Amino acid sequence: MGSYIFKRVISMIITLWFVITITFFLMHAIPGGPFTSEKELPEEVLEALNEKYHLNDPLYKQYFDYLAGVATFDLGPSFKRIGVTVNDLIIAGFPVSAKVGGLAILSIIVVGIPIGITSALKQNSLTDYIVTIFATLGIAVPSFVIATLIIYFFSSKFSILPSHGMGTWKHYIGPVISLSGFSLAFVSRLTRSSMLEVLQQDYIRTARAKGLPEFVVIGKHALKNALIPVITYMGPMIAAILTGSFVIERIFAIPGMGKHFVESVGNRDYTVLMGITIFYAFFAIVMILIVDIAYGFIDPRIKLGE
Amino acid sequence: MADNKISTDMWEKVDMSTLDKEVIARKSLTYWQDAWRRLKKNHLSMIGLFFIVLMTLLAILGPFFSRYSYSDQNLELGNIGPTMEIYQIDDNDFVYMNKEYKLVEVTEDGHISKRLVPTDEDMMQKYRSYEIDGKEVVIDYSFAVAAKKSGDPDAKKFEIRVNGDVIDIHDKVFNKTYWFGSDSLGRDLYIRVVYGARISLLIALVATIVNFFIGVLYGGVAGYTGGKTDNVMMRIVDVIATVPLLLYVIMLMVIFEPGLKTIMIALGTVYWVNMARLVRGQILSIKEQEFVLAAKTLGASSWRILVRHLIPNAMGPIIVSLAMLIPSAIFTEAFLSFIGLGVNAPMASWGTLANDAVAGLRTYPYQLFFPALFISITVLAFNFLGDGLRDALDPRLRK
Repeated sequence: MGSYIFKRVISMIITLWFVITITFFLMHAIPGGPFTSEKELPEEVLEALNEKYHLNDPLYKQYFDYLAGVATFDLGPSFKRIGVTVNDLIIAGFPVSAKVGGLAILSIIVVGIPIGITSALKQNSLTDYIVTIFATLGIAVPSFVIATLIIYFFSSKFSILPSHGMGTWKHYIGPVISLSGFSLAFVSRLTRSSMLEVLQQDYIRTARAKGLPEFVVIGKHALKNALIPVITYMGPMIAAILTGSFVIERIFAIPGMGKHFVESVGNRDYTVLMGITIFYAFFAIVMILIVDIAYGFIDPRIKLGE
Repeated sequence: MADNKISTDMWEKVDMSTLDKEVIARKSLTYWQDAWRRLKKNHLSMIGLFFIVLMTLLAILGPFFSRYSYSDQNLELGNIGPTMEIYQIDDNDFVYMNKEYKLVEVTEDGHISKRLVPTDEDMMQKYRSYEIDGKEVVIDYSFAVAAKKSGDPDAKKFEIRVNGDVIDIHDKVFNKTYWFGSDSLGRDLYIRVVYGARISLLIALVATIVNFFIGVLYGGVAGYTGGKTDNVMMRIVDVIATVPLLLYVIMLMVIFEPGLKTIMIALGTVYWVNMARLVRGQILSIKEQEFVLAAKTLGASSWRILVRHLIPNAMGPIIVSLAMLIPSAIFTEAFLSFIGLGVNAPMASWGTLANDAVAGLRTYPYQLFFPALFISITVLAFNFLGDGLRDALDPRLRK
């Protein structure tokens, strides 16, 4: 186990290094520096700016400086916001995104999985059909449509929920629902289909034949196996949801990571773009690693490190 | 001994019909014929397929049914919904009042003629008067403030008086000029939604081609070659897959100019990785089977084994995952357009249309309704088809 994790961490670092290298050179391949703008800057100012941000250094030196920075968790200054570092932006944005995202993930686990199990156990019943219809709709309707509909009905028409910003618990309802919509539907569908497959296995029949109570058969024998594909999907999903959704954060005006990212795209703030991309990639890789380790605990058939 | 003699009358003629017992009644079907037969039995999938075909036809032929182009604007006829409440002024004169209390001349069956020019207008007293066929038509919208305060959505907001008499709604008709209504700039929403369908289906086509040619071949080569080549190729895939697709596309958009071409390039460069992984996994298990060994023994080249033997055998999962990847490509484009990184104005995709509609959502919800409906139907159709294909192509379910 230990050597497996060690190996994985090494390959994680290599992957991350690749991501950093690719984003770095992609960003530097863009024609025009970060300070080329509509209004022409005086030569001296441009020179001073380039000097300040070490843009006059040879590319390889900039690259190694950046690598060294990332290794010490320093993602550099923002080019467009004076006095603000990329770290500041992430520290300010991530907790906001993570709070909304955490609630969304919680609702996916607490609502999505039980719904999937129920509809699998009551296959072809009314409950099952209703769940299937909602799950299918949830997958087909884009989250920005769900979000705008929530604002339209609950904020404008009935004025129950606030339409934007963060503050009271009411502010979270809209973003959490629209953020979790797709994944909730997908997870419940996935749980249902994998549960149905597991329930037909011989070991379930054996467990029942032994006279185990139904609760134990489902909860212990069936669920553990049925959750494997769900967990595979959840890894990258958690990374994606926690780091914020560009669209939802824009609609509800949430000052999270997604908003910073979209803004940095708009005003071409390259260091912020790079920094958030790397942070995101790091998060995704860690989540995938956790998922892989979780496999070992859930499914004894999967032997790690072989 | 004579008893043992076989006489001719001991023979009995075989009834010719019994010969048919040996004939195989069921026609022998190939894998694909069988899959198609089973797919046809799945109603939801057929509905999905029907809608995809319908959407394709609409995208190709739709513009021929409209007088307008996606960029034609008529600022005077903006924000008119797909249904209109019309008022009768005279025997032959009908008007529609828009949400800004301005009159538009229409025909009884819902054709829009032109915006009427008021003869008198007073923003303070909140009335507007028109002269139509010698009659004085006055719109008094001074009730609007009180109605808004009362909080009752059905409260009276205005009054239309013809020569002093209050008139009521004559009829509710469909908008025959702008079938789906018009947007804030007076552009025909129908034609814009049709062009949106073109863009989304184009994206679907690009995603298909990229997955099919790059994804399948890449995964195939990695899986079949194995060893170090496989390792390096899959690490490249890992790197690409680590950064979420949306981030990648956005980064590429920064480098190139935002637009349809860039979305296609961006999707094209990174969208095949999931397919590559899937195909590699399939090939790894198939390549150990005897028929591959047989092909090798007969001297088939690696390329031939890969393309003629291995990939066709992995076709089932490939097609299923393709049907699932297409909706996510359509979604990606819609998301990008929604956050303003999509196609350039005046061209419109479903995402940009939805984004444009958000500003006026309270007053003109139909502007969001149509693009949202079309995205949802298309994605739903591909999902249904994908589900059906999975059942139809799974050899374990073959009866």
